[in-house]
Amino acid sequence: MKKSPLALLLTFGVLQTSMSAFAATAPLDLVTPVSDYKIYVTENVDTLAADTQKFTDAIKKGDLATAKKLFPTTRLSYESIEPIAELFSDLDASIDSREDDHENGVKAEDFTGFHRLEYALFSQNTTKDQGVFADKLLADVKELQSRIAGITFPPEKVVGGAAALMEEVAATKLSGEEDRYSHTDLYDFQGNVDGSKKIVDLFKPQLEQSDKAFVAKVEKNFATVDKILAKYKTKDGGYETYDKVKEQDRKALAGPVNTLAEDLSQMRGKLGLN
Amino acid sequence: MKDSDSKNAPISTDRRRVLMGLGAAGAAVAGASLTGNAFAATAPAQVTEAPKSEKTQDHNAFHGLHQNGIVNPRPAAGMMVSFDVLAQDREDLERMFRTLNERITFLMTGGAVPQVDPKLPPLDSGILGPVVTPDNLTITVSVGDSLFDDRFGLESVKPKRLQRMVGFPNDALEADCCHGDLSIQFCSNAPDSNIHALRDIVKNLPDLLLVRWKQEGTVPAQAPLKPGQAPESARNFLGFRDGSANPDSNNQKTMNELVWVQPGSDEPAWAANGSYQAVRIIRNFVERWDRTPLQEQEAIFGRVKTTGAPMDGKTEADVPNYHNDPAGKITKLDSHIRLANPRTAETQRNLILRRPFNYSNGVNKNGQLDMGLLFICYQADLEKGFITVQTRLNGEPLEEYLKPIGGGYFFTLPGVVDSNDFIGRSLLAASAHTTKTA
Ligand code: HEM
Ligand SMILES: [Cu+2]
Repeated sequence: MKKSPLALLLTFGVLQTSMSAFAATAPLDLVTPVSDYKIYVTENVDTLAADTQKFTDAIKKGDLATAKKLFPTTRLSYESIEPIAELFSDLDASIDSREDDHENGVKAEDFTGFHRLEYALFSQNTTKDQGVFADKLLADVKELQSRIAGITFPPEKVVGGAAALMEEVAATKLSGEEDRYSHTDLYDFQGNVDGSKKIVDLFKPQLEQSDKAFVAKVEKNFATVDKILAKYKTKDGGYETYDKVKEQDRKALAGPVNTLAEDLSQMRGKLGLN
Repeated sequence: MKDSDSKNAPISTDRRRVLMGLGAAGAAVAGASLTGNAFAATAPAQVTEAPKSEKTQDHNAFHGLHQNGIVNPRPAAGMMVSFDVLAQDREDLERMFRTLNERITFLMTGGAVPQVDPKLPPLDSGILGPVVTPDNLTITVSVGDSLFDDRFGLESVKPKRLQRMVGFPNDALEADCCHGDLSIQFCSNAPDSNIHALRDIVKNLPDLLLVRWKQEGTVPAQAPLKPGQAPESARNFLGFRDGSANPDSNNQKTMNELVWVQPGSDEPAWAANGSYQAVRIIRNFVERWDRTPLQEQEAIFGRVKTTGAPMDGKTEADVPNYHNDPAGKITKLDSHIRLANPRTAETQRNLILRRPFNYSNGVNKNGQLDMGLLFICYQADLEKGFITVQTRLNGEPLEEYLKPIGGGYFFTLPGVVDSNDFIGRSLLAASAHTTKTA
């Protein structure tokens, strides 16, 4: 039987012990998953850089159709590594901020990046005058690539990223606010979910040592989300636009997404990370 | 039902005097406190010193034949939240009701929040501190028409009059603020106590309930009554006393007739001791109202603004005599109160128990204040009650200042009688039975 978070903790006897119920996972145990994760992020940011090159080339050539087609797939790898990308808040703002992050909306001078281009491509239906934004995006992505290469990944950020990605889904993807001009939210949705699941997979051996039921519940909810997303896959491997997602499915997604956000928020603690 | 009722009133007045005396003496100690500790007992209050309430331990019983939060006095803060039920099957649905039952029991009683390893998120938002104070909280659970669709096999046990709210002629319903599978009404002494309770429920039922809409409201506190003074109702945002002519909520017989579904009625047996809840979010055009002559305002309601008395009375409690005024010379025929309750023998069965809160949400695009009435009423028969009364009110002059934008109809579940019972149990049991015998 499924249980409420409080009931779960009661079952596992956490309430009886005073503090620090979870022994810190031995640092050595974390080395492998963290370095595997760095490989995953590096691969994704390389893909992002290559895809962004093609995407921005299309814009600069004035090839509206190709630019529109490449928009959602280019973003996918960004969305899956968002917890690391967000460590560089200046770049995250210039690459991925949305219209409503800016007081002056689309007119704001510092509104740049993917969503600024999305606005031009899908709402204004043009590539005209977008060269500056295209150049800036490509430069920012390359900067991100080099900064990622240079940092050591803090384990707590990596582990915390699993929950952060589901919070992102709960806050902006369920409502279809992220890609409001292109309605290609399902790509981002999938990117966030994949990125979160990757982290859980990498730490699965350590998690299972402390709590098998937790892992089983989390995997079940990931499977439910994937099953619903799969309904909206198109023949070319892409996704339907978000307005096609049935009200019933939006609701069916909300339960597992919110539960994943709630459960994964315990992951750092379960691994004994501060 | 409330432990501290008896001792509260005298204590609060005494404390008030003590506090006021302290204020006067404050000047004398001000010099000392400049160098001293800001928390020194004799120092005048600091800018961020918390407001005081002697009522944070007030609590209402959760167990009873009827749910609480309907006939008990309406406290200062109310909040109506509508949810989509995310449960996938009956097993999930039962888990939802049982978990709700567990959370409500704790929240309405209060107590220490269990501490967990600080590496984990805490179990509680902490906004009421480590020991949760009940603060007069009631949590009242009702179910909407859509819960009885084909998901859970509840179709055959739906309360007879439960239906999806349909717009009335003056409505401008916004889809995002209407209907729901389940409603929870939170009432307590302070908005923070309601919010604490809501956050607890959201945190503990993430896979079962999704918030659909929420509306908070308040009731302005009145000065304590002077000896011998009759109680007066609080005012709504149109400046009129609201609640004057409500049926007597302390009269068990009246409540059985008007509010509680009776055993042996034509409703399904499980629904006995429940009630119908009608919720309406009604925007008031307050700028325009404030530009309306007083005599017109009073004619529109049929009551005197200052006292709340009916047009032919002196005090709020006076009962208008429409018999002597058949042409509506004193109380207009289309005044709010006369349409809402014509006070004839036949319209006695249309009486409803109102439990409204004032709400204020912000500003509209055009710079007008977005505020109004979170109208909530309870009745044993939704059609004879709210729907009939609202139908009589259709076209009333007050409509020029009103725009209902949301709400819904719900059935308030029967009470939880003891700790073996749980909220929604009779509904589940009744439908389990029909599925078996069907
Ligand atoms: C924003 C909307 C509304 C406002 C500002 C408002 C205000 C008032 C006021 C000031 C009174 C007189 C005092 C009293 O008896 O409480 C009153 C009475 C009443 N109202 Fe409303 N009301 C509103 C909406 C409604 C609605 C939607 C209904 C039901 C469909 C309703 C039903 C009644 C009833 C039954 C009475 C008592 C009449 C009597 O028994 O004399 N009101 N209302
Ligand atoms: Cu994003």
